[in-house]
Amino acid sequence: MFRSLAAAVLLCLPLPALAATPADPVAAVVEQLILPGFDRLQTSTAALDTAAQADCASESPALRAAYHDAFDAWVLVSHLRFGPTEADHRAFSLAFWPDTRGFTAKTLTGLLAAQDPAINDPDSFAELSIAGRGFYGMEYLLYDDAFRDPPEYACALIRATAHDMALTTGAIAEDWRDGYAQGMLEPGTDNSPYRDRDEVVQELYKAFTTGLQFTSDTRLGRPLGTFDRPRPKRAEAWRSGRSLRNVELSLKALREHGVLLAGDHPALVEALNEGFDAADEAASRIKDPAFGDLENASAWLRADLLRQSIDLIREQQSANLGAALGVAAGFNALDGD
Amino acid sequence: MKTPFLITTALALTLGTAALAEAPTPRAVLETYADIAAAEYADSLSTAKALQAAVDALIADPSADTLQAAKDAWLASRNPYQQTEVFRFGNAIVDDWEGKVNAWPLDEGLIDYVDASYGDSDENDYAALNVVATPVFTLSGTEVDATDITPDLLANTLHEADGIDSNVATGYHAIEFLLWGQDLNGTGEGAGNRPYTDFIQGDGCTGDHCDRRAAYLKAAADLLVSDLEFMAAQWAAGGEARETVLADDTAGLTAMLTGMGSLSYGEQAGERMRLGLMLNDPEEEHDCFSDNTHNSHYYDGKGIQNVYLGSYTRVDGSVVSGPSLSDLVAAKDAALDAEVKAKLDTTMTALGALKDAADNGFAYDQMLQRGSIKGEELIMGGVNGLIDQAKSFERVVAALGLDGIEVEGSDSLDNPSAVFQ
Repeated sequence: MFRSLAAAVLLCLPLPALAATPADPVAAVVEQLILPGFDRLQTSTAALDTAAQADCASESPALRAAYHDAFDAWVLVSHLRFGPTEADHRAFSLAFWPDTRGFTAKTLTGLLAAQDPAINDPDSFAELSIAGRGFYGMEYLLYDDAFRDPPEYACALIRATAHDMALTTGAIAEDWRDGYAQGMLEPGTDNSPYRDRDEVVQELYKAFTTGLQFTSDTRLGRPLGTFDRPRPKRAEAWRSGRSLRNVELSLKALREHGVLLAGDHPALVEALNEGFDAADEAASRIKDPAFGDLENASAWLRADLLRQSIDLIREQQSANLGAALGVAAGFNALDGD
Repeated sequence: MKTPFLITTALALTLGTAALAEAPTPRAVLETYADIAAAEYADSLSTAKALQAAVDALIADPSADTLQAAKDAWLASRNPYQQTEVFRFGNAIVDDWEGKVNAWPLDEGLIDYVDASYGDSDENDYAALNVVATPVFTLSGTEVDATDITPDLLANTLHEADGIDSNVATGYHAIEFLLWGQDLNGTGEGAGNRPYTDFIQGDGCTGDHCDRRAAYLKAAADLLVSDLEFMAAQWAAGGEARETVLADDTAGLTAMLTGMGSLSYGEQAGERMRLGLMLNDPEEEHDCFSDNTHNSHYYDGKGIQNVYLGSYTRVDGSVVSGPSLSDLVAAKDAALDAEVKAKLDTTMTALGALKDAADNGFAYDQMLQRGSIKGEELIMGGVNGLIDQAKSFERVVAALGLDGIEVEGSDSLDNPSAVFQ
């Protein structure tokens, strides 16, 4: 009881100051970041589907360009793992990574070898292992020539994958527009999964902290390994040369997310911007966009500096943001081992 | 920011207990928690000693009966052990240690022979090392003499070799592989089917190197016992884990809820259950050699419920119980306590349905088959219950004023599972 009173006091204190500009951080994140982000993902993945149906050759420039556009759009929302992305295994089927035990290669090899007819129908395709689907499965099909035979089947698989992704991203965007966004803006109502505003704020804060954790521990931590034993082949999407790009895009989205959440705490906004500026600066010094040079000591140290700059945001700005919002980070999918 | 939060937390705890006479003190709740841990680890240890004796009997006189007795002893030891998993994530001393006894998944080809279909691994150069067949080998550039297979070799050289988590050389799952062998039935019926002749010394030995295989099994069983001895002692009177939990009410209660929430959500619902379902891979089950996964999941869930209700039924049928987290929550918010209890019940009903189905012949790996509607329903029932209860645990954290603690020195960077920063 006392805690919520204290939280209420904390939340209320700044109110007089912002009475003139009632910028609700929840509305800001939902309307300025989440809804446009998932719309962009839907549109760009539909374009990828169109491109694949027009030309499924794995080296087709138009197909690869569409693939990169859609992947960009995914990374910009990839930290928003709650609600519509979690229904029906949607986000998992778009983005099965990290793949610590080679499931993607195994699944695709199996499909190609058997010429599995499941790919001929969207419903049966949706039953296939998530490891062979989505952006990471398609990357093998487009960028690794071990996954091109038999050519007719590989072509059909690219088309089926793109179509499946378009259906999935369409369903996510639709759920956000048709109710989930409203449920976040109006907690405590019948159609909202959130009991009160604190739970909504906690969800958005948790997405922010989990996103930072994933980029630091997984996108960077996996290929970094240890100084004595770097693991460049564990980098995300190295086949298509996107490893660094994904880190940069996720930082862009997380900065926007954090700044919108910090809303009316100008000092926090400034501190967040400083933290992300430092991370961007560290990222700009990295030379190999696929992290293929991590066995070189200075390359490793440059990438480690980027990781440290993200961990600094987690330790300082992110912790202060949570305290200002009066919420704990809660449980996330990265708990466990 | 720091001072107001700590003061409010202290006030909330003090006032809450003063206002309602029947509420237990946090200290009493934490003592129950430590008592349950002590009893669960003691039961894990006593059943592991029975497993060790059964392994000795199998090696002394390999037969279908002695192999079956060893398997039965392994299965019996799993049930109390799985109930301890809820202590992992909130207690650093447990989390730092548990990889020795329950690491999973594993590249079992590190240990012994595997089927030709096993396949190489891009990530792990030692996935098919086969220590049983290989007395001398090079590991990360260093020559290893494994002529004598000892607990020390397993624990300090082979386990997590080359920094790879799936190089699991010790613990329940290494022993499980040595007793059952690979399950080559895919999503079809049947578990691993290692013949007892794999342990016959001299004529009649199958799978080659029966002496080294027996030595490996014995070393792994001895190590399991000594590792569990260590952890049981940490929770006994004066033990470090118990003292740490009792040292600070707020940190102790946070450890309880961190363990409950992290096991429910990220670990069990996510990594262990939903991921396997989405991959349709029969190896993606926690006890994949023995087809015991249904029990493994059931008793993980049971352990979470034990901690909330402050009660554990020991392997001998006696009950360890005391003032509970449930009592503490009820005194603050009776509706929230009812909600948590109902959700724990829902989860246990779902995990019970999964266990019943498996006990009646619908094995967990068959549930993972592509397009198995019934299997997906059973597994997702458990997953949804676990995710839903984690949400209520977050409400408990808020109700008890345990949020905002983070500012007080965060160990979340070193220990990502410490979620309440």
